Amino acid sequence: MTAAAVSPPAQTTTPALEVRDLVVRYGSGRKARNAAPAVDGVSFDIAPGETLGLVGESGSGKSTIGKAVLGLQKVTAGTVRLHGQDVTAMSLKQRSRTVADLRVVFQDPYSSLNPARTIGQTLVEPLRLLGVRGPDAAQRARAALASVGLPPDAADRYPAQFSGGQRQRIAIARALVCDPKVVVLDEPVSALDLSTQATVLNLLADLRDQRGLSFLFIAHDLGVVRFLSQRTVVLYRGQVMEAGPADAVGEQPRHPYTVALTAAAPVPRPAEQAARRAARESAGFGTAGAAAPSATGCPFVPRCPLATDVCVQQRPPLRPVGDSRAACHHADRVPSL
Amino acid sequence: MPAYIARRLAMAVGTVLAAVVISFLLVHSADGSPGAVALGPSGTPEAIAAKNHELGWDRPLVTQFVDYLGHLVRGDLGTSLIDNRSIATDLATRLPVTGFIALFATLLSGVVGVVVGVTAAVRGGRFGKAITSSSGVALSLPAFWVGILLVYVISLQLGWLPATGYVNFTDDPVGWFQSLVLPVLTLAVGGAAIVARTANAGMRDALGQEHIRTLRALGTPPWRIRYVHALRYASVPVVSVLGIQFIALFGGSVIIENLFALPGLGQASQAAVSAHDFPALIGVVVVATVVVVVTNLLLDLLVAALDPKVRAA
Amino acid sequence: MSVLPLPDADTIAAEAAPTEPVPPAQRRRGVPGFLRRPGGALGAAWLVVVVVASFTAPLWRPYAVDEQDLDHRLALPSGAHLLGTDPTGRDVLSRIATAGAEPLLSAALTVLVAFAIGLPLALIAAERGKRVEQVISRVTEVFLALPSTIILLALIGVIGSRMYIVMAALGVLISAAVYRVMLGVAQSVRQRLYVDAARVNGLGSLRVNVVHVLPSMATVIAVQAAQLFGIGLLINAGLAFLGFGPSEPQPSWGFMIQDASKHIYDDPWLLVPTGLVLALTVVAANELADALAGKAAGRDERPRARRRAPLRTAAAAAAPADPANVLEVRDLSVSVDGGPQLVSGVSFALRPGRVLGLVGESGCGKTMTARSLLGLLPDGVSVSGGVILWQGRDLADLPEKELNAVRGREIAMISQEPMVALDPMFSVEYQLVQPIRRFRGAGRGEARRIAAELLRNVGIVDAERVLASHPHQLSGGMAQRVAIALALTGEPKLLVADEPTTALDVTVQAEILSLLRALVRDTGLSVVVVSHDLGVVADICDDVAVMYAGAVVESGTAAGVLDEPAHPYAMALLAANPHVPAGEPVPVRLASIAGTVPPPGSWPTGCRFAGRCQFAQQQCTTPFPALPAHGDGTVLCIRAAELSGARWGAVAVGAETVPAPAASTLTPPTPPLPTAGASR
Repeated sequence: MTAAAVSPPAQTTTPALEVRDLVVRYGSGRKARNAAPAVDGVSFDIAPGETLGLVGESGSGKSTIGKAVLGLQKVTAGTVRLHGQDVTAMSLKQRSRTVADLRVVFQDPYSSLNPARTIGQTLVEPLRLLGVRGPDAAQRARAALASVGLPPDAADRYPAQFSGGQRQRIAIARALVCDPKVVVLDEPVSALDLSTQATVLNLLADLRDQRGLSFLFIAHDLGVVRFLSQRTVVLYRGQVMEAGPADAVGEQPRHPYTVALTAAAPVPRPAEQAARRAARESAGFGTAGAAAPSATGCPFVPRCPLATDVCVQQRPPLRPVGDSRAACHHADRVPSL
Repeated sequence: MPAYIARRLAMAVGTVLAAVVISFLLVHSADGSPGAVALGPSGTPEAIAAKNHELGWDRPLVTQFVDYLGHLVRGDLGTSLIDNRSIATDLATRLPVTGFIALFATLLSGVVGVVVGVTAAVRGGRFGKAITSSSGVALSLPAFWVGILLVYVISLQLGWLPATGYVNFTDDPVGWFQSLVLPVLTLAVGGAAIVARTANAGMRDALGQEHIRTLRALGTPPWRIRYVHALRYASVPVVSVLGIQFIALFGGSVIIENLFALPGLGQASQAAVSAHDFPALIGVVVVATVVVVVTNLLLDLLVAALDPKVRAA
Repeated sequence: MSVLPLPDADTIAAEAAPTEPVPPAQRRRGVPGFLRRPGGALGAAWLVVVVVASFTAPLWRPYAVDEQDLDHRLALPSGAHLLGTDPTGRDVLSRIATAGAEPLLSAALTVLVAFAIGLPLALIAAERGKRVEQVISRVTEVFLALPSTIILLALIGVIGSRMYIVMAALGVLISAAVYRVMLGVAQSVRQRLYVDAARVNGLGSLRVNVVHVLPSMATVIAVQAAQLFGIGLLINAGLAFLGFGPSEPQPSWGFMIQDASKHIYDDPWLLVPTGLVLALTVVAANELADALAGKAAGRDERPRARRRAPLRTAAAAAAPADPANVLEVRDLSVSVDGGPQLVSGVSFALRPGRVLGLVGESGCGKTMTARSLLGLLPDGVSVSGGVILWQGRDLADLPEKELNAVRGREIAMISQEPMVALDPMFSVEYQLVQPIRRFRGAGRGEARRIAAELLRNVGIVDAERVLASHPHQLSGGMAQRVAIALALTGEPKLLVADEPTTALDVTVQAEILSLLRALVRDTGLSVVVVSHDLGVVADICDDVAVMYAGAVVESGTAAGVLDEPAHPYAMALLAANPHVPAGEPVPVRLASIAGTVPPPGSWPTGCRFAGRCQFAQQQCTTPFPALPAHGDGTVLCIRAAELSGARWGAVAVGAETVPAPAASTLTPPTPPLPTAGASR
């Protein structure tokens, strides 16, 4: 791990990716303006060679952030900078011309490869746009396949001939064929079986270490995120609840939601899981979706056992707590949960 | 739900407006003029110009359009260039002929199509195969040809019904009904085939849904699964297709009326076309559109009653 | 498409959803698929014949179109006039052939215009998002609601019978329908991630559409075009029938039929040739469309509960059931009818009030095993051997009607996707009340009271509101609670839960698991849980059966199997899990298993896991029996004793992912399902 920064990266180096006060609202018109935004003032940096994990459940806005970073989703407010260059308003075509080093690996290996095109055609496509053609492009495609552990003749086949794990490796090869510096990984292992998931995670860790890649790793599973990331950002309803070093967030959560998330993830040890379940049930978290959160306060209020009046009225700012930063008025009481 | 109805209503008004605009523009882009049509080949250019002025044809297009709309709202469609009769009155007597043919044909298509399509989906096997194949053929047959064949078999060979002609309901209800049987049957052949296909596909789709498995896992009786749950699910596409069918059958009846010598809108439009009777042309288009739009509005409400998701939208 | 790359091969025989646009097939050499169906081949052949005959008619027609044979008016077919003559003695064959070019060309023109307008609009609407889409859609809805035949007549009234212009105008009107169909397809294609990936790569809008979107729409475009061609022909002929076609003596199909209609009294034959040619041409276009859409006429897919293949091996039912067990499954096999086994020789037992977990990766047969308990296997899949002993009966051998009485009342099921498990058309109240009345014989009011009580029992506080809701108004967690309440309406003794929390968020999963656990504790319910998640199994299960490639490889108490796994596959699954217990460091490298689960039909003899096992030896490739383990449990590994306490190691960094010079790690492309036959 080249840049296993425990604290946010030193200010001297330009971050590979910098997201500031990102807001994304879906739709338009009166209805949309009154609804809570999908992403609500999210900021983070990723240093060169660093992996940042973005964790949250459905509706947390994590995939929307990924899309906004990639330019696939219009941003309502805030900025996205790539190596210091503001790309927020750039079209996808402009981006590819100026900063051709942001790529993506999606969740579903079955729809992320065009079934009508050979693996070779899929890998060569981004190279052609960069002006690499003919034997050079074919050579780079084979090299990319080799880097994900697939033989060169895979280039002549169609996606249907590969298993889910293999397809996901091909998708990684497509992301890497142009030698990007930053890769958005949008739930890259969620659709895979456990053993295949491990292979892909190992591969991603290797590639990052070998090439000094920066990953924005989007996932719903804290365990998976902890394996790959140096730092973790926990999202709930479009807002950052907690951010900090992966181990600190995993071992000593500073926000009640992080506690809920950690406590809910079951471990495959019956005795320990029984203890965890008992602890979780006694902590008294509210049922998901039972009540709507207030617009002005903390979004986790309806489910939070620590919530008080101030939580309903005031949105807590993100402030340092221990090794992490947490957006909670009662962060000091969290360890008691 | 109110928002849904409002949206549908707005669509309906928009559609009628579009029909008026389209036919208005069509007529005004024509080579001839109403004066020339009214006076016939004997009219001198001066007389034609005078007649056109009298009809207001030389006024700005927008003025004429607004004027027409004003009359339309009051149910006035102008007078025929050929015989100076009120177009609205003429079409009012013709509308029931076409309207009842299209309505009965749609109802018959709906009932026969749903029964056949659902049975094919539920029974499957050879029966299903036969239904799918024969409906594929039936929906491809030209209606006017089917009509002639029906006349040949039912009227000429079997002598069951009169071949052509129309009897007023007030004169002889039974005769009226008899005079409509063949035209309705003619149109329903293709209509029922299309509905049967939709119902069949919808039913198969419904029976493959996950919630059907939930019902089976609860030991729900098969008839209830099929005819309450799956049928309700399949009914939404069927009702939508009925709306489209009504439009198609309404248009189709224009051709059929010619074949069966029925005094409906079709005959009126054919006459108006042949005689270049411009006000009558616009009138037919507008009346046909209004009927179609109103029917579709009713079916939209039926869809809303059937599908809770539409209601919520 | 090969069956295996489906996300979950457990759904092996389930039909692919027919509404999804079909991706272009593998480019195969030889005859395209639609021509291999009889309808497609015949339709295409007839269209070719008609087109060639019509456009070459001046070269071969026996008579000129206006050549009158006054001695043979209204003649029947003869050597001189193969299809007879018309009222003025003109040759019908010559006239039909000559008349063909105009309707064929104008119908093609209609299709062309309709697509030239509708398709680009659909692509734009799908690309530009909701606002643009709504504007275009509203306008096209207006067009769809216009009575097109009457508008065409009005057009003819204005411009006269200039048929190509009229048919182009029809194309404009029909483009709205093309837009509607194409929009749906384009939107669903654009949702595929390869389109996003191409956009991230910087591909321009035009190229994205041409390279990635349009090819995936090709099938639907072809189907729609063929159907519209048929409609164009019909409308063209209809207008000609009214006399608005080519004028005499030029022949037209429509007017020839009009002509014939005046002679049904004296020469009905005259109706036949023209009408038949027109009808057959439209039928051919529609048959071609069906064949392109892949709908062989009446493909048999009866939604019928055919539970068992006729050839069931004589059951190993000799031994009576252990009275302590509520459920006993012995040597159960499930097969594709006339195809490979999906589950083979599975045995397990369940005691009252206990929770059994069937765990394994996708494609291991756990869902098939669970579904066979209720006789709810997909069409074309059936129990091919073994017994399912339940309350003194063999469920695998019960007639459908008796089995239906067991479902819900004795054994109930909840499934993976709560959002689609409830009927979207009915309120929650209706869906609950109806089975309550059937199961408990309660009246309407009483049933409603019980329904509310059941909802409260599954942790729904505002039961009244939920009762009045429709499924689309519920969140995933709420829907799963309702589904559980529904399963409890018949007060079953056994609940089969197929991945009950897989589709849910992790905090919601914890709530649902707690609910299930409370139900077991309070009601003495027995549960069979299918899961791929070892954490879920550790949370809720008392006993575990680990499945691999259709067989149980290890079974025993949850604590036994998960804490001291005896089978290498169980060890590997545990080692691959990234969830570390509190206090343990995150591993630098996760254990993984090379290769993939062998598909049904190509299971190796001996241990099915041997090909991927770190500990495999020569002896593993010969068949061997299961060994006892974890008390009452079993392990299906011949080296189990030697491997006790072994750990599945993490694979070395390079060995798995970087191609070794000698052996490539690429597993050969999985063969299609019905081939190979190494399994028994």
